Amino acid sequence: MDKGIYVGLDIGSISSEALLLSDERILSYSIIATGPNPHRASRECLKEALSKGGVSEESILRVVATGYGRISVPFKTREVTEITCHARGSHFLFPRTRTVIDIGGQDSKVITLDERGKVTDFVMNDKCAAGTGRFLEVMARALEVELSKMGERALKAKKGVSITSMCTVFAESEVISLIAEGLEVEEILRGLHESIARRIFRMARRLRVRGEITISGGVAKNEGIVEALKSLFGMEINIPNEPQIVGALGAALLAREMS
Amino acid sequence: MVDKGFRIKVLRKFVHLPYTYQFLLPILVFLHSKENPAYRIWVRFLLNTFREAYAHRKPVVWANSFLPSEIHYGLDVIPVLPEIISALVTYLGWSERPISKADTRISTDLCTFYRCALGLALENFLPRPDLLLSSSQLCDGANKFFSTMGQLYQCPHLLLDPPYSNHPRSHRYMEEQIEDLLKQASQILSLPFKKDRFSLVLNRSNQARQWIDKINQLRQSIPSPFPGSEGLSYLSGMNFYSVGSIWSIPFFSLLHQEIEKKVSSKKGYLPKEKYRLLWLHHVRPYYKNEIFNILSSKDAAVSFEEANYLYWPFHDSSQPWKSLAEKILSNVWAGPIERRMKAIDEMIRSYSIHGVIHFSHWGCRQSCGGAAIIGDYLKQKGIPYLTLPGDCADPNNYSPGQTRTRLEAFIEMME
Repeated sequence: MDKGIYVGLDIGSISSEALLLSDERILSYSIIATGPNPHRASRECLKEALSKGGVSEESILRVVATGYGRISVPFKTREVTEITCHARGSHFLFPRTRTVIDIGGQDSKVITLDERGKVTDFVMNDKCAAGTGRFLEVMARALEVELSKMGERALKAKKGVSITSMCTVFAESEVISLIAEGLEVEEILRGLHESIARRIFRMARRLRVRGEITISGGVAKNEGIVEALKSLFGMEINIPNEPQIVGALGAALLAREMS
Repeated sequence: MVDKGFRIKVLRKFVHLPYTYQFLLPILVFLHSKENPAYRIWVRFLLNTFREAYAHRKPVVWANSFLPSEIHYGLDVIPVLPEIISALVTYLGWSERPISKADTRISTDLCTFYRCALGLALENFLPRPDLLLSSSQLCDGANKFFSTMGQLYQCPHLLLDPPYSNHPRSHRYMEEQIEDLLKQASQILSLPFKKDRFSLVLNRSNQARQWIDKINQLRQSIPSPFPGSEGLSYLSGMNFYSVGSIWSIPFFSLLHQEIEKKVSSKKGYLPKEKYRLLWLHHVRPYYKNEIFNILSSKDAAVSFEEANYLYWPFHDSSQPWKSLAEKILSNVWAGPIERRMKAIDEMIRSYSIHGVIHFSHWGCRQSCGGAAIIGDYLKQKGIPYLTLPGDCADPNNYSPGQTRTRLEAFIEMME
């Protein structure tokens, strides 16, 4: 079945994803930790996706690389920013999407798009890691909570404590002080999730948010963040089955569309 | 290993020696022999100004860039513009030390051009001023900076405070203020107050204006003949610093010749031009960065920049105070934002612009404050718009990855 395939590679700061697309069907995908070498990560995640899909490297027609490590992919046909790729991928999964919230490892973005999935505007956080996956990782470590269980535990608290610092380093100290004061971990977690969501919401308000909202990126797996965002936006939010592959999917779709 | 403190001492000694600039002049002119002749005039102009400022044979006046340069040449003083010195120091890769020095004295929220200049002043790198002149127009940090400098150097500081509106009453008020300020300045500096000299300077300024206008018209050509990165360095530098001086007419006329050659041969500054961009805000980062290379790699030319927009009318040299008041009050970057938006509209039309980048410099209320309103206005008109936050003088505030993503995504939006 070695039909021509299109590859989308999303080389992020924390994780790397490869997705293989045949016509309009997702053949396979892989998610690995990027580690210190994005070049090697791009090869490894592609290898894994090829192996899962049962296809050979020779059947690759085009490769579009995205993510902060897109420049380091030696075998790409083209590189496209994650902003365009997340918009394209979200639109493919939820065609009525007009706003995408992408919370990645080191930055978060809000993107607006038109009915064809084309980006009309975007905002992204400034250079600090507040409101990103890295922020959550640091807080999980400080609170000695498993990253994947953070959201679930945050939702157990009836109310969140107020976290004033959004700088990752200062927030970590603040969290440690709150633990020392004897506050419940769940309440601190809820406060942290709410503060991240508020930050994203404020960013979104700089754009004209309209239509359906889709959330992508690894942090979309965190129920605590998603619930806080739903409450702030006052509406339902589309969550893909695997939010981490949306960028790679968009990249693969763009690879297929390239002439 | 030579002690760092010793090296700074030696460097300071060289910076203060007028002969340093005399010595550097032929070297720099030779090194830039392949650059266009106008660029070499910029080099000569700067070195000559620094030589004269450190030699101190005439009064040295520090002023901010938004004070019309005709004032300095009319007074017949050596002007020192701290913001331009900061930009040069940044370009040479030396801005981090003075900025960190200044951070011990002033809030890190203040514009880094002034923080850099403050650090240079604290380390005694700058020529000693006899008088400080500043305008409150546009730049809110300027007056505080000059006031601090007044204390540091025990030097008088005169302030020009232009009103917000362009009402006839504002003009009369401005005229009186200018005349009063110039009389006071002449008195402080023990210089004769010569109205005729101002008339002569305004005539020169008018001639320079004619060339600037011609340059701006040539830059409407497709493909873009002159890079925006240079428009935001020596071209805008000469616009702010030299108009009214003897250097301005040869500079602008030679630059016009160079650009005319490019236009005649239909040669753009990029090998291929797909997008034409307008750069808003007067400045760009002056340390080593990839912004313009990223844009060029995507065939996006910065065709024009608002820093070089000619907003002021020809002077009536028989009425110098009235003319200077007119120049100050017609500044589109001050006053109601609608005026700036009208000018942006005109630039978009004249330069066949596809997209607009608004650089928002750290600590600059003037640029950051209007960015969102202008953005909404342009987006409503369907013109792609990007606010690019950054810092012009402090390389520590430059985030290469995020800047690349923002710029590339912006270009992708236009595809």
